[in-house]
Amino acid sequence: MEGASYQRFPRVKIRELKDDYAKFELHDTDASMANALRRVMIAEVPTIAIDLVEIEVNSSVLNDEFIAHRLGLIPLTSQRAMSMRFSRDCDACDGDGQCEFCSVEFHLRAKCISDQTLDVTSKDLYSSDHTVVPVDFTDYAGYESSEQRGIIIVKLRRGQELRLRAIARKGIGKDHAKWSPAATVTFMYEPEIHINEDMMDTLTLEEKQSFVDSSPTRVFDIDPNTQQVVVVDPEAYTYDDEVLKKAEAMGKPGLVEIYAKEDSFIFTIESTGAVKASQLVLNAIEILKQKLDAVRLSEDTVEADDQFGELGAHMRGG
Amino acid sequence: MEHGSFTDNSAATFSLTDEDHTIANAVRFTLNQDPRVTFYGYSIPHPSEARVNIRVQTTGDPAREVLKDACQNLMLMCRHVRCTFDKAVEDLKQAML
Repeated sequence: MEGASYQRFPRVKIRELKDDYAKFELHDTDASMANALRRVMIAEVPTIAIDLVEIEVNSSVLNDEFIAHRLGLIPLTSQRAMSMRFSRDCDACDGDGQCEFCSVEFHLRAKCISDQTLDVTSKDLYSSDHTVVPVDFTDYAGYESSEQRGIIIVKLRRGQELRLRAIARKGIGKDHAKWSPAATVTFMYEPEIHINEDMMDTLTLEEKQSFVDSSPTRVFDIDPNTQQVVVVDPEAYTYDDEVLKKAEAMGKPGLVEIYAKEDSFIFTIESTGAVKASQLVLNAIEILKQKLDAVRLSEDTVEADDQFGELGAHMRGG
Repeated sequence: MEHGSFTDNSAATFSLTDEDHTIANAVRFTLNQDPRVTFYGYSIPHPSEARVNIRVQTTGDPAREVLKDACQNLMLMCRHVRCTFDKAVEDLKQAML
């Protein structure tokens, strides 16, 4: 293709991987690539969320639009989302966006008949497609199953009833935050910490201890055997310069040097449960590729648009 | 949408709709590594409007081709990241078994 392009290919190393949490390292790439991934994960990976609510009966204390808003924010398992069509692009339905290819139907029926308050939760939402259901947040780590009832939508008193039909559609976070599959996505530069051992030897044990304690997060510690300051967790460093200021205050600037490696990033991803954390990254890469494809293959026209008339004339030397 | 000179197609301004920093900054990184490119810059005329203006100037090759090659390179990189990530997930699952 072109001559010597200095393109490098990135490397990935996974640190931790759970269903809704992933921590991995990305090496040999630029911040713009990492940021593009982060932006796509938050705003452009599609998921499914309730978008249209038809309420038949609502005698609860919350009004209709309040309940509809809450329903929209419930995360639904969205493995189908990548292969589904957007409602506006669907040609199978009559344009009302409610066919089986582009949407999923839910219904909810709750009436409180006892004297006890009835909690209407996300577990009471029944789906027409068993692959798209409200995310189950049950924590199996020792809680009684009766305590894990799902997200509470509304509470009903004796005699109050809620009956509704909801349509869930595919969307992206850019349109509305309910469609964002990511709870948080962050990345940080990987720090590189060098301790100047000669300077460190000139300190007394108390000075070393106060130096170690000056960092808000536990980055350094004193090795009990050798009485030396060692780096115990470089990634706990949050790029506050407290240790550097402390070193200067002690009269020893250059005691420790901390660099951020410019091409090494540590990503921390928490998903809402709609999509698994690992799947979220893969979908994000897929969406990024699709965007690039769209740019590459777009039929660009050179003649001036109405609004670009002046720009075009200027470009052509007019 | 591309605006350039009819006689000299080594420099052009592209206007992409429905795009933002996500794609423009990533392409900036790839294009600045391409030795054929003398200038690359992008701006967003107004944050409320989803439009990016990209300016590319090259050493002679058509600007449109260079931009397309950059997109291709980025896609290759994405593919590589995806394969590496897939492999890393597989290795992790194997190690946990």
